[in-house]
Amino acid sequence: MADGYAVELEHVTRIYKRDEFEIRALDDVTVKVPEGHFVGIMGPSGSGKTTMLNLIAGIDHPTSGRVAVGGEEITGMKEAQLAGWRARHIGLIFQFYNLIPVLTAFENVELPLLLTALRKAERRSHVQAALNAVGLADRTNHYPRQLSGGQEQRVAIARAIVTDPTIVLADEPTGDLDAQSAEDILTLLTELNRRFNKTIVMVTHDARAERYVETIFRLDKGVLVGVESGRTPGLAAATHD
Amino acid sequence: MKWLALIFKNLRRSPRRSILTVLSVTVSLFIFCALASVPVVANQILADSASSLRIACHNKAGLAYGLPQAYKRAIAGTSHVVAVVPESWFGGVYHEVKDQFPNLAVDPEQIDVMWPDWGMSKEAVEQFKELRTACLVGPATMKRFNWHVGQQIMLRGTIYNFNLALNIVGMLGGKAPPSFLFFRRDYLEEAAGEPGFVDNYWVRVDQTSSVPKVIATLDERFANSSAETLSESEASFIGGFLENYRLFFQLAEVLGFIVVVTIGLVAANTAAMSIRERRAEIAVMRAIGFPSSAILSVIVAESVSMALVGGVFGCGAAYLTFKLFSVGTDAIGPLSNIHVSSAIVGETMLLAALLGTLSALIPAYAAARHNIVDALRLVA
Repeated sequence: MADGYAVELEHVTRIYKRDEFEIRALDDVTVKVPEGHFVGIMGPSGSGKTTMLNLIAGIDHPTSGRVAVGGEEITGMKEAQLAGWRARHIGLIFQFYNLIPVLTAFENVELPLLLTALRKAERRSHVQAALNAVGLADRTNHYPRQLSGGQEQRVAIARAIVTDPTIVLADEPTGDLDAQSAEDILTLLTELNRRFNKTIVMVTHDARAERYVETIFRLDKGVLVGVESGRTPGLAAATHD
Repeated sequence: MKWLALIFKNLRRSPRRSILTVLSVTVSLFIFCALASVPVVANQILADSASSLRIACHNKAGLAYGLPQAYKRAIAGTSHVVAVVPESWFGGVYHEVKDQFPNLAVDPEQIDVMWPDWGMSKEAVEQFKELRTACLVGPATMKRFNWHVGQQIMLRGTIYNFNLALNIVGMLGGKAPPSFLFFRRDYLEEAAGEPGFVDNYWVRVDQTSSVPKVIATLDERFANSSAETLSESEASFIGGFLENYRLFFQLAEVLGFIVVVTIGLVAANTAAMSIRERRAEIAVMRAIGFPSSAILSVIVAESVSMALVGGVFGCGAAYLTFKLFSVGTDAIGPLSNIHVSSAIVGETMLLAALLGTLSALIPAYAAARHNIVDALRLVA
C-alpha cells in the first residue's frame, strides 16, 4: 500500500447545491490515516463528518481534491467501478444498523459475499467467523426484529468485516444505543482494530469514543480544525497538512 | 443463500401485498387467456377444414331459404361428385329451452362417405341406415345429458310445431363436432308433411382440385332457377358462419388487452410503492458494493416471478373453466370445443413476463440509480 496510508484526502472540497444555495460541506480538507489505525471524526452537526466518511467510502464524489483509499485513487472511478471497489475494500457500519429485515443475521452477514465467487461452504465459514468475532454465533437464525439494538449493530459490524475489507467505516455506530451497548460496540471495534489490525474510521458525536480511538479529527463547518490523540495521549499517528 | 433465495425472501417481505399482486395478475391473465382462446379455436376449425373435399351448397339468397330436395339427383350426377348428403336444421331442444345443441336431419345413405374423418363406427352407421327414428350423437351432448346408446329421447321442436322421438344408435365419433346430433331426414320430412325442401347440401368430391370446378358447375346448373345456389368450400362455409362471431372475437381481444393494461398499471403502481419503501435498503446494498445492474435485476426478477406465478394460475384457471363448463357451451355449435392451447399458454406466460418486467422496470431503474447519500438520509 503506497506510503502506508489507508486513507488519503488531499485538499478535498465538497459543495452541495440545494436550489439556489451552495453548501460547502467540506472545505479544503487534507487528512491521512495510516494503516491499522482506529481514528475518529468528531464535530458538531453539519460539520461535514458524514460527508467525509461518504467520500472515503466512494458513495459521494468530491467537488475538488483527491481521495485515495488503500493506495488506490477513487476520485475518477465510474459508478460501476466504485461498486466493485467498495465490495472489495470497504466495510460500512451505519447508525441505524440498516440490516435487511427479511434476512436472518446469518443471511445479512452473508449478503456482501454474494458478490464474490466464494462457494456456499466457504461463505458459510466466513459468516460463522464474522459472527463469532462479534460474539453472536448463537444468533445466526434470528431476524433483526428479534435482536436488541446492540445485537443488531454487532450483526452490522459482522457484515462489514466479513469480506475482510481494507478499511471499516462507521457512521455514528453508537448513536442509537444505550450507554452499555455503546461501550460494548466501541470495545468490539477496538478489538477488531487490535486483533485484526483493521483500519477503522469512525464518525461520532459520542465523547466516550475519545477513549477508544487513537486519533481524533475535529471538523467544524467543513473545515478540519484539529487533530488530537485519543486513547494514547501524545501520539498523533495520523497527520494533516 | 444466493440470488434466488434473496428474491424469494424479498417476495415474503409483505405476504399480503405479494398475494394480492399475484391475484390481480392472475385475474387479468385468466381473462386474457380465456378470451384469446376463443378466436384461436375458430382459426383452428378453419385450418382443419382448409383441405377438406366437402362443399356446402345452399340457397344463394341465404341459409334461411331452402333448396328443393330434387336437386340431390342433379348434384349426385355432376362429374367428380362422390357423395351428396342433404341437411336440414331442426332446432329442437331437450326438455328446457336452455338445453340447446345443434340437431340436424340428414339423408343416411352416404354419411360415412361424406364424413369418413369423423371416426363413426361401422355398426352405428349401419344402425342409422336401418332405423327410421335413429340418431347419432356427439360425445359432448351424450355426456351433457347423461345419455347412452339404446336410449330413446324426445326433441321438442322450436321451429317446427311437433316433437320427435329419437333412438340413440351410436356416437358421431371423436373428430365430429362434439355437440352435434344427426337424425334421419326422411323421418323429419314425414313429420313435417313432406315439404320437399332441405336447408343445404353437403357434397363430397373426388380430389381437392375438383372443388372449384364442382362449385362452378353446381352454381351454373342452378342459375336462373327459382332456387339459385351458392356453393362454397367447407372452410369458406364455416368461415362465413364464424363471421357472425367476428365482432365478439374482436371485442374479446380488445377486452383482454384492456384488462391486462389496466392490471399492468396497478402492478406498476404497487411495484413503485414497494420499491419506494425499500429505497434506503437499496442504498445500503449499493453502499456495500452491489452494482446497480444487480439491484435492477433482483427487483425486476421479483416482479417477473410474481407475474409468472399469476400467469400460471391464470392459465390454470382458464383451462379448468373451459374443462368444467364446456358442457354448457354446446349451444354455440362449432365453438363448443374451446380449450386453452399451448400457444395461448405460451403467449400468456410471455405477456406475464412482459407485465412483470415493464411494471417494475422504471421504478427499479430509478431506485438503482438514485443517489446513495440522499437515499441513506431517508433512514436517519
